[in-house]
Amino acid sequence: MARITIDPITRLEGHGKIDIFLNDQGRVENTYFQIPELRGFEQFCVGRMAEEMPVITNRICGVCPEAHHLAATKALDGVFGAEPTSVAKKLRELLYMAFFVTDHTTHFYALGGPDFIVGPDAPPSERNILGVARKVGLEVAGSVIACRKRNHEIITFLGGRSIHPVAGVPGGWSRAITTEERTQIEAAARKNIAFAQFTLTTFENIVLKNPVYLDLVTSDIYLHRTYSMGTVDTGNQTNFYDGMIRVVDPEGNEFVKYNPSEYREHIAERVEAWTYLKYPYLKKVGWKGLNDGIESGIYSATPLSRLNVSEGMATPLANAEYQRMYETFGCKKITAARYEPIHHRLATHWARLIELLYASERMLELALDPEITSPETRNIPDPARFVGVGIGSVEAPRGTLTHHYETDKRGVLTKVNMIVGTTNNYAPMSMSIKRAAEKLITSNAPDEAILNRVEMAFRLYDPCLSCATHFLPGKMPLTVSIRDSQGDLLREMRRQG
Amino acid sequence: MKDSGTVIIGMGNRLLSDDGVGFAVAVAVAERLKHHMDVTVTELHTGGIRLMEAMAGFKRAVVVDAMLSGAHPGTVRRFDPRDFVTTKNTFSSHDTDFATAYDLGRMAGVPLPEQVSFWGVEAREFDLFGERFTDEVAAALPVAVDLIVAEITEWEGVA
Repeated sequence: MARITIDPITRLEGHGKIDIFLNDQGRVENTYFQIPELRGFEQFCVGRMAEEMPVITNRICGVCPEAHHLAATKALDGVFGAEPTSVAKKLRELLYMAFFVTDHTTHFYALGGPDFIVGPDAPPSERNILGVARKVGLEVAGSVIACRKRNHEIITFLGGRSIHPVAGVPGGWSRAITTEERTQIEAAARKNIAFAQFTLTTFENIVLKNPVYLDLVTSDIYLHRTYSMGTVDTGNQTNFYDGMIRVVDPEGNEFVKYNPSEYREHIAERVEAWTYLKYPYLKKVGWKGLNDGIESGIYSATPLSRLNVSEGMATPLANAEYQRMYETFGCKKITAARYEPIHHRLATHWARLIELLYASERMLELALDPEITSPETRNIPDPARFVGVGIGSVEAPRGTLTHHYETDKRGVLTKVNMIVGTTNNYAPMSMSIKRAAEKLITSNAPDEAILNRVEMAFRLYDPCLSCATHFLPGKMPLTVSIRDSQGDLLREMRRQG
Repeated sequence: MKDSGTVIIGMGNRLLSDDGVGFAVAVAVAERLKHHMDVTVTELHTGGIRLMEAMAGFKRAVVVDAMLSGAHPGTVRRFDPRDFVTTKNTFSSHDTDFATAYDLGRMAGVPLPEQVSFWGVEAREFDLFGERFTDEVAAALPVAVDLIVAEITEWEGVA
């Protein structure tokens, strides 16, 4: 069996690699995407007071500390049996919307967008945010920086600290906002909406109106008919902060809807000897290997899958864009507001922009909520209601994030478990890499094309495994080695990061 | 946003053993200099655009990070942005490398420092949760602090 190794992470950035095995006919037999893990997290946490978790877990990942902070805080609500006040939930969600706006904006302009806006086969030195600015207009560089700045300011005063928020406490939020701060948030939200609309227009003009790019988005190179997962509110519409977990099958029928605290009944993790990271799958469907289809328990938890489970979007502008995307793909409506799922993975980039618009609109709704400046930000936990078990869940930008803590009766942690956003997508990501390999390995495509398509397979999932590992390739040094069935090197391709 | 002074950016995760050395060095440097000049310490976990933003508005910036270059653990090295070698956390997998982020900042009219230096301390243990440094890195900490204090003092022209 021939073996191809893609080792995208040099010693400088950590480790992790892709092995592609070819059979004797030179076709792809299997793909192994290995991810190492950080060691000792559970041991580090056990024995600590549970209330430390929101400030410990927000350091697991430098990219989405806000997601970990909120999932941890929600888990503490459960541990201490303390239901947050109404305004506390809104303040948490408000911080989270500001975070989503910066995160999705950054991904599009720095990572996802360059593939389309600059072009999938442009040299890597141009396929970055600078190339986007040269193509779209230099002022977009300033707009991206300004967007990040205004939302980071809000995250800092809402969260009590920049980068690593500290305001989440069991039963609520440790500070209220002033009327001046509310005014600042409202103004920022309005600018966010305008910028999200500009971004969607750019995507339409440059990608959707270009037949070559539209073909790429709608091509089957990264098509996988998996189950879709996402958090929904009581109206079965996408919500990033709170709700039930809804899963639809590849045809779009609701498979299950469950409370996040029941995750163990629905999600199992497949252990493979060759990787530290486990593959989560739907327990009641079962593990059928790295295959898609209704018989395989593989699911996706991405912006696209969140839209696939949602009965339209809860805000008007985002809902109009939602409809446009599904209509473009020719999907039929299967309920009054929802369409057949889209399984073309490159559409995840489009879905991410629809979510960007939704987060901006939701931020404005919360800023205009008459209750938002209420000082009633916390219910002090009642010792008589102490539970000792808590499961908190939010939609991280890159997938459903679950924190599960158990403590003794003093509140000292005895067990910690997490399923992080990207981990949900480990199996689909592996399948997309395999698909890219199948299409390109035997086609005598030039090195650049193979490297680009493998990178695009990663990038559409917005992987951030700093939670479970250090680094995954966004743009980084990449080495692809192709070996024959004797293991001898046939060809090696390199790209510096 | 400030338009003067020196920012010392300690990069890395304080909960991942030697990865916390950047922040520890930054704090110790500021402690030595704070009575003599305008210094600000910033803790940063990821690089890329965040790193560029963290130095916006300062006249000078020093970035301290763990590195995994294959050198002996505890080795301290200075990098110039011009021949910039990526240290452990200055790259962001979520957006871009520092060089691209710096150019982006220039393009967007962000006020960026006149002087920037990067310091790396070779780590031994970087994927194990813990709040202690390995012996080699603990020993390197005062060495790095002395070197960085000397550089900033020279920049500032303060005796």
